[in-house]
Amino acid sequence: MSVALHLLIMGVALAGWSWTSPVSEPEPTLISARLVSPEPRPSPVVDEQDQRDLEQERRQQQERERQQEEAERRRREEQARLEAERQAQAASQAQAKQREEEQKRQEARARERAEQQSREQEAARQRAEAEAKERERQRAEEERRRQEEAQRKAEAEQRRQEERRKQEEAERKRQEEVARQEAERKRQEAERRLREQQLEALADESQRTREAEARRQQEAAAARARDAQMLSESEKYQSLIRERLSQAWYPPSSATEDMTARIQITLLPTGELVSARLVSTSGNTAFDNSALGAVRSLSRYPVSSDRNTFERYFRQFTIEFNPQRLR
Amino acid sequence: MNTHNAYRQGFPLATALTALVLFMLVAGSARAELLIRITEGADSAIPIAVVPFAESGAMPAGDKVSSIVQANLTMSGEFRPLEPSRMLSLPAQRSEVYFRDWRMLGQRYVLVGQLNRSGDRIEARYELFDVNREQRILGETAGASVNSVRTLAHHISDRVYEAITGDPGVFSTKLAYITLNRTGNDTRYRLQVSDLDGKRARVRLESQEPILSPAWSPDGKQLAYVSFETGKPVVFTHELATGERKKAADFPGLNSAPAWSPDGKSLLLTLSKDGNAEIYRLDIASGNLTRLTNHWAIDTEGAWDHTGKGIFFTSDRSGGPQIYHMERLGAEPKRITFGSRYNARARPDAKGEYVYYVHQRNRAFHIARINLKSGEESVITRTESDESPSVSPNGRMLIYATQRNGTSVLTVVSANGGAAYSLPAADGDVREPAWGPIVR
Repeated sequence: MSVALHLLIMGVALAGWSWTSPVSEPEPTLISARLVSPEPRPSPVVDEQDQRDLEQERRQQQERERQQEEAERRRREEQARLEAERQAQAASQAQAKQREEEQKRQEARARERAEQQSREQEAARQRAEAEAKERERQRAEEERRRQEEAQRKAEAEQRRQEERRKQEEAERKRQEEVARQEAERKRQEAERRLREQQLEALADESQRTREAEARRQQEAAAARARDAQMLSESEKYQSLIRERLSQAWYPPSSATEDMTARIQITLLPTGELVSARLVSTSGNTAFDNSALGAVRSLSRYPVSSDRNTFERYFRQFTIEFNPQRLR
Repeated sequence: MNTHNAYRQGFPLATALTALVLFMLVAGSARAELLIRITEGADSAIPIAVVPFAESGAMPAGDKVSSIVQANLTMSGEFRPLEPSRMLSLPAQRSEVYFRDWRMLGQRYVLVGQLNRSGDRIEARYELFDVNREQRILGETAGASVNSVRTLAHHISDRVYEAITGDPGVFSTKLAYITLNRTGNDTRYRLQVSDLDGKRARVRLESQEPILSPAWSPDGKQLAYVSFETGKPVVFTHELATGERKKAADFPGLNSAPAWSPDGKSLLLTLSKDGNAEIYRLDIASGNLTRLTNHWAIDTEGAWDHTGKGIFFTSDRSGGPQIYHMERLGAEPKRITFGSRYNARARPDAKGEYVYYVHQRNRAFHIARINLKSGEESVITRTESDESPSVSPNGRMLIYATQRNGTSVLTVVSANGGAAYSLPAADGDVREPAWGPIVR
């Protein structure tokens, strides 16, 4: 790019250069020089005096006198020559001046030309620069525009993608919603089925309960009848047991009428004692022991041979010892 | 939705029904637990086997320890010892006891033991078993000198009695009584102290004049009694260990019916020094007298009640002798006996449950007792001419004097009258028994 830019700039510069070359150099004007200054005057002479000793001085004096003469003569010659020279010089000076002026003019022209050229070059340069700047600006502008365009495009693209993404998202959500609704529907369906099953089960249970209740009531009625029989059967044996235990119990002399001991006993269907456990003490060891002794003294309890009556009343029961009449 | 709601409401109902049914089942099973009440015990005494003790070493002649124990338990009226001849075996220690055998013999308890002589001492190792529970309920070693085998036997009897009945035994207590011997013109009154079974009797005082109403001090170390040795009734106190005697009351007129207070510091006395017979309290240390009754009728035979704060006494203020109770000294006496025209010589038990007294019915004199709580009076002796009741310290036995074959004898009965045991007859009349305290 920069290479191309440079080539472009170079090309532009060459073009500019070529555009200035056709300017024709002006013809040098003729200088008509003329000597206007007065007679040239001799230039002041500058003596150069050396530091010398005295005898030299005298010799020098003489010398100097001779020399003065000489010098005078020379001075006059010189003067003449100088005059000539002056004149020549004046002429030459005029000439030189003329030449100089010519040169100056030429130089001025050249300078002017150079300046012109320079100016032109400068202008061209400035122009080129301006153009370059313009191009640069345009290029920058172009670049900016391009970038803007690119950005716009990118943004547009982004928006498009965003849009697409949103659409996809919406679609996805929609599908999810559909799936969710489906799941919910299924769940509700399952729930409904479960509830129905439970309700059915409850209905069954309720029905069974009612039936069981009815059955139980029937059974209870039967049981009551049986119980009545069992009770009379039981009472018979209770009375036998009471009699046997009363005979077997020796309340100790320390017993009082407010003493009560309770013993829970367990029997075999044969009437044999399995266990006897003091469940409530009278507070008097001798009394408790007398009761335990009485309970254990029976080798065989009189119990009903009816299995149900036995299980119901005599498998396990409690005997309470409480003397109402002390000896 | 309607059905749904209906079942929603039906569900708790079903639950409630189920709970109800469960409750009924539980309640039914609770109701099924039978309870049999035993309110009466056997009328007979407790069967016990006192197995003759094994012996090692020379034993003193005379009654065996186990025989004395057996006799003691029999005398109490609460036990029915098995004759040793009926025993299937004679175990001396636990390993030899076969409960099944004893149960077959109908025994409730078995006492076994062995005696070992060691120098002039005898050691007894004995064990008491509950046959039905198959448990040892007592096991002990006790010793006594060779001369005190009876003391050892009484001690064992007390321990056995207490282990079974829950009440302290009284077989180690002493009796005081008066004997009367007439030989020709010679009349001898003797104050004697013996074991409960009448053995080891010792004469403490001998007099040609009457001796009456011996009474024990609470610590069992002294007796108070009335002696006519000075020609008139005088109350003495008598230190048994030393034989030292003191005149406690020698007032003009009647000095009689001494009774020790529970703290042993004072005596109840009947004095007639102020006119007719009244009851006084004598402070022994100071000799101070306090008059407790003041009535124109005869007031006599005072006895402290179980609280130690009130007294029972006999008074004929109602026309005939009756028992009165003064709940606090100085309080208005209340008559407690009404069953007949003659009720006298009250002897309360130590628990405050009964008062025993002489009771006349159909011209015969019996010993009766009154239940202080219910007021029920019951005659407990079947003999006639009964007098001088004295209650054992545990309230379970009673001794009294009665007539047999024209002479006076002492008889021990259980306090409910269930059994009677006459003490071996001494020469002549025996009367005025006084049951000594339990001395620990």
